[in-house]
Amino acid sequence: MAQILIVDDAMLSRLNIKKMLKKAGHDITEAENGREALEKVVVNKPDCILLDLVMPEVDGFEVLKSLRAQRSEVPVIVVSADIQESAQKHCMELGAKIFLNKPVKEQQLQESIAAVLNEPIKACDEFDSNTN
Amino acid sequence: MNLTATQTDAVQELLNIGVGRAASMLADMIQSPIRLQVPFVKLFTAKEIKAGLEGFDQKIKAIVELGFRGPFSGTAALLFPTESASKLVAALTGEELEDDDLDALTVGTLTEVGNIVMNGVMGSISNFIEGHIEYTVPTYIEDTVESILAARNSADEANILLAQARFLIEDMQLEGDIMLVFEGDSLNAFLNAIELDVTNEG
Repeated sequence: MAQILIVDDAMLSRLNIKKMLKKAGHDITEAENGREALEKVVVNKPDCILLDLVMPEVDGFEVLKSLRAQRSEVPVIVVSADIQESAQKHCMELGAKIFLNKPVKEQQLQESIAAVLNEPIKACDEFDSNTN
Repeated sequence: MNLTATQTDAVQELLNIGVGRAASMLADMIQSPIRLQVPFVKLFTAKEIKAGLEGFDQKIKAIVELGFRGPFSGTAALLFPTESASKLVAALTGEELEDDDLDALTVGTLTEVGNIVMNGVMGSISNFIEGHIEYTVPTYIEDTVESILAARNSADEANILLAQARFLIEDMQLEGDIMLVFEGDSLNAFLNAIELDVTNEG
């Protein structure tokens, strides 16, 4: 069981992810934008962050940059509707561990969380596996 | 200005690829198969749009708009009849909603569906031309197609490319449209990018 921070401005996505994570017994904290997320990283000290990219106020790219500037070691899994290879590459350069595309599948999400919590992992790329 | 046969074909094909990807995402979300129709691509002047579009009904639609900027800029929109939008939300959230019960959860749900679907379309196009585009936060409105196009306040002579794809969710008797709008310099940039890519592919 881990403490997971879900960062997404879309209630539907937060609800879906929350349902999946509760089955696995994780503790959930939510943030609706990047600014709120950065505050909760300090207060709640999550074990893992699930991060959307396009959000009001502070977006996901800015969150990744801030975490890197703070030398944060909290693993970040990006969960985004953005399927651009360039966006994925940029996130990995900014320190994200895994990039998942919405709508995220339960098994894929559970495996990704297990991977970042247990051992370093390079990338899990749904886009490539779907298209190559 | 008219589209060449190559440009029309290229836009249709890109839209097919993008909408196919988006439909697959939507089908995953609602656990129901989706059927696609051949996309419609046409160039209009802003003046023609303001004067009224043939073939577009005047009904108020549930519309999610997503702006994009990059090598080319414009707006992508997902449109549903409002009653279809309610069915879709019910399927996604498990809640039975009245047609006019578009509360915060409903609007939020439709906005996120629109976000995922339109990222599927635009992301596929961006990947195809090996470019990168940035998105705005999606917004939800209820209006007619003509109104949202006319509200762009384009100069009368401005060319606007309208690319539209219809999809049907048969199990739910639900249909919707995906619409892309490019204009001005951005339209030329878009057409040049895809024509160059198609030429290189060929």
